[in-house]
Amino acid sequence: MFDLHLRNELWKLFGKKRTYIGFGAFLLAQNAMLLAFKFTRWQSEMERLLEGNGYLALEYVSALTVALIMLIPQIALLMPLYTALVGGDLVAKEVEDGTLRMILSRPISRFRLLLVKWLAGGIFSAALVVMLGVTALGFARLWFPWQGMFVFIPGQIFNVLSPADGLRFYAFSHLFMTLNACTVLGIALMFSSFNIKPAAATILALSLLFANLVMEGIPFFERYHQYLLTFHFHAWRLVFSQPMPWAQIAQSVCVLLAVNLTTFLIAAAAFQARDIKS
Amino acid sequence: MIQLKRLNKQFGARQAVNNLTLAVPAGEIYGLLGHNGAGKSTAIGMMLGQVWPTSGEVLICGYDVSAHRRQALQKVGAIFESPAFYDYLSAVRNLEILSSYTALVSPRRIQEVIEWVGLSGRERSLVRTYSHGMRARLALAQALLPQPELLILDEPSDGLDPEGIHEMRQTILRLRQELGLTILLSSHFLHEVEQLCTRIAVLNQGWMVFEGALAATKTNEIWVRLKTKDFGLAVKELLQARMITRDRDECMIALSPGVETDQIVRRLVERAIPVYEIVPAEQTLEDFYLSLMERQRKAQ
Repeated sequence: MFDLHLRNELWKLFGKKRTYIGFGAFLLAQNAMLLAFKFTRWQSEMERLLEGNGYLALEYVSALTVALIMLIPQIALLMPLYTALVGGDLVAKEVEDGTLRMILSRPISRFRLLLVKWLAGGIFSAALVVMLGVTALGFARLWFPWQGMFVFIPGQIFNVLSPADGLRFYAFSHLFMTLNACTVLGIALMFSSFNIKPAAATILALSLLFANLVMEGIPFFERYHQYLLTFHFHAWRLVFSQPMPWAQIAQSVCVLLAVNLTTFLIAAAAFQARDIKS
Repeated sequence: MIQLKRLNKQFGARQAVNNLTLAVPAGEIYGLLGHNGAGKSTAIGMMLGQVWPTSGEVLICGYDVSAHRRQALQKVGAIFESPAFYDYLSAVRNLEILSSYTALVSPRRIQEVIEWVGLSGRERSLVRTYSHGMRARLALAQALLPQPELLILDEPSDGLDPEGIHEMRQTILRLRQELGLTILLSSHFLHEVEQLCTRIAVLNQGWMVFEGALAATKTNEIWVRLKTKDFGLAVKELLQARMITRDRDECMIALSPGVETDQIVRRLVERAIPVYEIVPAEQTLEDFYLSLMERQRKAQ
């Protein structure tokens, strides 16, 4: 029965048009960024940076490099927005629409229902991230050749990779991006499980992330970075470092898994305790 | 089928349900009456395990809903006012989703129920294209899918047109006759309750102020509708003559035991009070309900 419940939850989730807003927005943003990269000084500045460091720019201005450039802002800004939107809807929208009352007149436990919703949200997060990665690479390949990968994140990473290694690390980084997306969705689901409107759940989740992001940018909080969620969201970028900082990645993964578990348990407790009324 | 024992529910400072104890026997159509905010929906919410009681016990089919939700609700179907569905999915998909929370239901059973409620031919349409009446039928279908023994109907006729209300009433009767279900019906439509229910409970501000067979709501008092030139003067005259016990609504009088309408007419005509119309009126559930509420107001 559990797989049937999960399948039904996916029907509900992917049957809604608003679930696809994120997918559509990513496609638009990717193409806008590609045009900007191709037709502004963005590309020439990157070539100058590469050549200034002794690399042949022509070998590294590639589909992989451009796909990664597109991913960085989208994972930081758009992905949390759309996963929070879906996560905020998961419980609160069903309460608002009255469908949750229909479900809870049946002999299913609230914990099981929430678990199914959380898993469906996780599948959505993975689908969103995979689609984001595949389309970014696909669109970039239409405009740029298949060559080596250049990774440059100011102050953090400067690396060049062969096409094979670049693709391997690019694919590997999606695991951590999915974990980020699940974490944001879990936070939104947690708020959604309280007696609040779906929009409020989304806004609260985004506010929490925004507060983390702002604190991360303030020098005073530098020594407290490990307590900030957004700091651990950078784990996916560390995959491209040479050598790869496994300890730091593992620490971030553990923190994010713990946050996921905590938000789910809070959500389950809140959902279990509340009264569902029309 | 349903047993509520000393049930209480408090929302903040407001006591929504007060010490509610009632039992719905198998095979009955049991009416739950009360004004808006009387506590009917809260009581139903507690029966379905959607609202947690502050204290007390709810037994459905012999099982405590809070402790043994699965067993208690296995044979229960429910319909709420303004039934909600996934509007962007088809009726069949909605039925598959909702029924899956009770048990695995075969496509054949879904088709059977669709035919029973009269939605054949429209089952593949998106629910957003459905009229209110069709949604009500779909709500009934989802409630019937788990082959329930108990049906809980919370304002099922709310928002329906007169034809829809009539149809719902006929369906409820069919449910008992053809499927032998026990039905708990919460409704504002007193006429509907009077036609369907065998037993009722009346809630007022969370308290149960009446519980009993519908027949018990009919008193021995004989009410008569009197149309005359001066109703006030006529009442004064008849009270003095001890021919009536009380009056109401500027047109109704309650006859004293043993008094007949011809005696009333004769007395009034003798006192030069013309009588235009005098008709015995049977006491309806509405009369009973209103007088019960009036007594409650005076008691406060």
